[in-house]
Amino acid sequence: MSDTDKKHEMNRRQFLGNMLKTACGVGLVGMGLGIYSNRASSLPAHYIRPPGALPEEDFLGACIRCGLCVRDCPYDILFLGEVGDDVATGTPYFVARSGPCEMCEDIPCILACPTNALDHGLTDIEESRMGLAVVVDQETCIAFHGLRCEVCFNVCPIRGRAITLDMRHNVRSGKHALFIPVVHSDACTGCGLCERACILEEAAIKVFPTDLAKGELGKHYRLGWKEKEKAGGALVTPDVEHEYNLPEGVRYDLQGEGLIIEEKPEETPFSSNPLNSLNSGFLDNK
Amino acid sequence: MNICSLVVHTKPEKGPVVSKRLEKMTGVEVHGGQDADKLVVTVEDEGETVSPVSDTMNAMNGIKGVVSTILIYHYGGEESLEEMKREIN
Amino acid sequence: MKLTRRDFIKSNAVAAAASVAGITLPAIKTATAADGDDGIRWDKAACRYCGTGCSVLMGVKDGKVVASQGDPDAPVNKGLNCIKGYFLPKILYGQDRVTQPMLRKTNGKYDKNGKFEAVSWDEAFTIMAEKWVAARKAKGAKGVGMFGSGQWTVWEGYAAAKLMKAGFRSNSLDPNARHCMASAVGAFMRAFRIDEPMGCYDDLEHADDFVLWGANMAEMHPILWSRLTDTRLTKKGCKVHVLSTYEHRCFELSDNSMIFEPQSDLAIANYIANYIIQTKSYNKDFIGKHVNFNKTTTDIGYGLRPSHPLQKAAKNPNKGKFNKIAFDEYAKLVSEYTVEKASKMSGVPKKNLERLAKAYADPKRKVSSFWTMGMNQHTRGVWMNGLVYNIHLLMGKISEPGNSPFSLTGQPSACGTAREVGTFTHRLPADLVVKKDAHCKFAEKVWKLPAGTIPRHNGMSDKVAQSDISGKPMGKTLIHAVAMHRALKDRKMNCFWVMCNNNMQAAANMNEESLPGWRDPANFITVTDPYPTISAQAADLVLPTSMWIEKEGAYGNAERRTQFWRQQVQGPGESRSDLWQLMEFAKYVKVEDVWPEDLIAKQPEYAGKTLYDVLYANGQVDKFPKQKVTDDRGNEYGNDEMDYFGYYVQKGLFEEYRLFNSVPGIPKKGHEMAEFEAYHKTRGLRWPVINGKETLWRFREGYDPHVEKGSEVQFYGAKDKKANIIFGPYEPAAEMPDKEYNLWLCTGRVLEHWHSGSMTRRVPELYRAVPDAVVFMSKKDAKKRKLRNGSMAKIVSRRGEIVCRVDTKGRNKVPDGLVFIPWFDAGRLVNKLTLDATDPLSKETDYKKCAVKILKA
Repeated sequence: MSDTDKKHEMNRRQFLGNMLKTACGVGLVGMGLGIYSNRASSLPAHYIRPPGALPEEDFLGACIRCGLCVRDCPYDILFLGEVGDDVATGTPYFVARSGPCEMCEDIPCILACPTNALDHGLTDIEESRMGLAVVVDQETCIAFHGLRCEVCFNVCPIRGRAITLDMRHNVRSGKHALFIPVVHSDACTGCGLCERACILEEAAIKVFPTDLAKGELGKHYRLGWKEKEKAGGALVTPDVEHEYNLPEGVRYDLQGEGLIIEEKPEETPFSSNPLNSLNSGFLDNK
Repeated sequence: MNICSLVVHTKPEKGPVVSKRLEKMTGVEVHGGQDADKLVVTVEDEGETVSPVSDTMNAMNGIKGVVSTILIYHYGGEESLEEMKREIN
Repeated sequence: MKLTRRDFIKSNAVAAAASVAGITLPAIKTATAADGDDGIRWDKAACRYCGTGCSVLMGVKDGKVVASQGDPDAPVNKGLNCIKGYFLPKILYGQDRVTQPMLRKTNGKYDKNGKFEAVSWDEAFTIMAEKWVAARKAKGAKGVGMFGSGQWTVWEGYAAAKLMKAGFRSNSLDPNARHCMASAVGAFMRAFRIDEPMGCYDDLEHADDFVLWGANMAEMHPILWSRLTDTRLTKKGCKVHVLSTYEHRCFELSDNSMIFEPQSDLAIANYIANYIIQTKSYNKDFIGKHVNFNKTTTDIGYGLRPSHPLQKAAKNPNKGKFNKIAFDEYAKLVSEYTVEKASKMSGVPKKNLERLAKAYADPKRKVSSFWTMGMNQHTRGVWMNGLVYNIHLLMGKISEPGNSPFSLTGQPSACGTAREVGTFTHRLPADLVVKKDAHCKFAEKVWKLPAGTIPRHNGMSDKVAQSDISGKPMGKTLIHAVAMHRALKDRKMNCFWVMCNNNMQAAANMNEESLPGWRDPANFITVTDPYPTISAQAADLVLPTSMWIEKEGAYGNAERRTQFWRQQVQGPGESRSDLWQLMEFAKYVKVEDVWPEDLIAKQPEYAGKTLYDVLYANGQVDKFPKQKVTDDRGNEYGNDEMDYFGYYVQKGLFEEYRLFNSVPGIPKKGHEMAEFEAYHKTRGLRWPVINGKETLWRFREGYDPHVEKGSEVQFYGAKDKKANIIFGPYEPAAEMPDKEYNLWLCTGRVLEHWHSGSMTRRVPELYRAVPDAVVFMSKKDAKKRKLRNGSMAKIVSRRGEIVCRVDTKGRNKVPDGLVFIPWFDAGRLVNKLTLDATDPLSKETDYKKCAVKILKA
């Protein structure tokens, strides 16, 4: 048994001991969920606010529960929280799987809002950030297995920017490609059209409130190649031109593919230098 | 009602003996692992008494030849016995 | 094994513990495998949709398909599917399957304007036979017609060809492949004198350059596209060139993107040939040995009614004749197509055209060209197909791995059924044609029928007019799909049977040419379909069919691969397969009803017999007795036709078809098939199958056993074993945008729906993904008309109008001046707008080009 396994075993043993002491019938999974839900934002994961909604705390302060946004939504996707719901009573939300935001160009819900709880400064629907789509389950998303689906990509209204397809070699089949959907937070509005369209029984792509969906890189760290692209060149002195000791027919491409062995011309009985043939001594052997 | 699965580690080569001892306990079934001295065991009750599963597991540690018991999986549902016996698929 | 919920939880618990302990428990394995999959019988089938021919495994339990998967052992798809294939089981279980024959009736009697009522099969066939016999007598060979399908199984197509050509003595049989592959067929026959691609899907791994000429493979051949993409990703130096009249999903992978003005592909292809000649890149040795040069008759019209002004204006309407010329003359003919001219006509920048031309002209690069409807649905489709062959032939880049001009098919058995067993008006099984007296005589011999039974194209056998039941001479007998609708409208045809397709939705110019004929009280229209389609709604008699794996079947895909499947479930209610319907209907017609006395006199033992007796109970088709159908695992399968008719119908038909390729004295070799039983054991075989071996690349020595040793390449479809390069110039489209109708309309498909959507729109998930057809238009064009993304627009042509939403952001980015509307949506019938102009040679409709205007709805 390896060390890790032993550690694993210790943890399990401790857990078992605790469980027996308290004669607790609740399993680990249930406990975990309880703790987690206390920590989570007060807006449940599948309740999405209309476009332009202020950050949740400000929104709850600004929204006067008038219901005008709900009235003016031409697609009738908005609901108001009711007593007992997990969302503040009287505040608007939509559920992407059953009724996503159709992204009206004139954004009538914002125009209807009397208090700026839905930000009147938002005039381009493509700039809205209702939430963020996430491919939550790569095990069931059939694109990851190489099936040609791409429905989320095809229905995305921010075409080619919010969801792109990453094409990769399918190692299993050996001769097909995978078309993997990738969501880009700089363009995704969180409208939820992809979640509704997902053809699985339970969607593998879901829209969450942005704070739940988004990871954050350590504040100190930058991605070198992106910084270089932004700056339009190397941040420090450009590298000198390198020279290498190489045999004939071999090149080295520092920034590209590295060592390049040039294809030899097809073999013939002749040397590349005509003088070698001319001076081969043919006449001497007479 | 509760259904648990455990891995019961036994002293070297005691797998088969311990397995027989465990099988005598109510609600306990051994599914294999005798040769590896790691027994795959399930314990279940039918919810009639207060948590007999934990009692059973506690008792296991007292059985001769058992080194440790590790709880792997626990299911504790509210379903009635009838529901649990209904055929699925 | 039955599982209780408790067992289920317990087996999970045990599995978890066993995996932690690192112990394998055989008992657990079975318990886990049994999670819901217990008792499922798996068997293979070819996918119901496109011409790719993916293999799928269908899981059946208690007589119902409950599970499906891609077949991991299938060489085409290796276990993968597209989104349509993923939902295959659901197409069988749409809630509105037709389960009984339905006839329009009033007060208990057939009435053209009555409401549909359920009737028995006997009543259905009785009235149908009455109408058919009357029409055949009154109007001659063209009085009745059948419109079949590239989705028919192989034996259904074969049985239909026999019923129409030999039974009813009518060549009024055409498949929906006429709308789809006819131009490809025409070009194959002209260039190679034998049909179907020389290459196979392995070309997808071997090419250095891929050229798409009017094919949106990314959406229409999704699995092939994933193979092409993989080669592009993994093969060094591999490049993709995409030509289209608008930007579609293939452009995501494209290295050389070319949007060309509709119809200017003719100029581009000729330019490439010219480039090859100007740069002296052509393969002199190859063209010297294997190629003839020709030019085709020009100014041939647009396949419209002869009264149409465009038809009257044409100098040589419908003429396909081509004449041999010298290489120099050919070089001179293409020399007009300079890069400047091609670029000006097409709008494609010179550098892109040159890049494409260089790829073709580089002898070191292997080039595969792929095309489908962009090239076939084209008023010069046959020419255009040929122009691409010209390029490949000039370079000798043909018939070897990676060097392949490849015509893809849109239907699962456009090759296997529509083309191979003779369901076109002009064809007989195995590439034989009714134009040739000898071919007809050979077919009559195989079918054990009196000489002269099959109507010749001109109604003449041995230079004597064939007699007919109508009492008049047989006359000209060929009638293609579009002409059938015209004949119905003109009351020249009175009975029409549409099977396994949805032609009311599919045929162009619905208002003017389709509906009037169908709804004319003089005509009787039968539609066989699983669902109440637009066609069924416009019919008089609707016959419910057992579809796909509800019967034993066979399909042939685009790479000549023939695939079989067993009957895996039973069709619902009283539905019966198309095969059953064709054969059973034949029992309602007697030889005397449709054959003249002198023909019966030639084979008097047929007197008093039904068409069924003569065609199917002929000692050949009924040769194989009833047997159990089992697989290698001992599972048993049903076979409803075998149970009903009392013999192995499918095997009998297939083996009789095989006689066309195997008996001594066959007029054309090259279509050899393996024995019936062999196909149930394989994931398909690519013909010609000779001594059990498949053929991957045809016409090339070593790969194709028909090619003689030492000859390198033989195009053995032709007597001189050479291929034809045929020059055809640019000629304009039939209808072009003008001041009023100022936009091009192009129609087509989307990934999620297949053809008219009669199956895929009944899958809720696919319907939710793409519910309605939209009109894709450029932002600029939309703005000009005060429209924007999502607004409702009215699209109007000279023939009709429809209303749908505008899409300026979606998957197809169209250039200014062109709009694209998919045709799957029964709620927005785009074929109300299209023009029924066809290629005059192939008679295939040009669905890609007509003129429309768009207004705010």
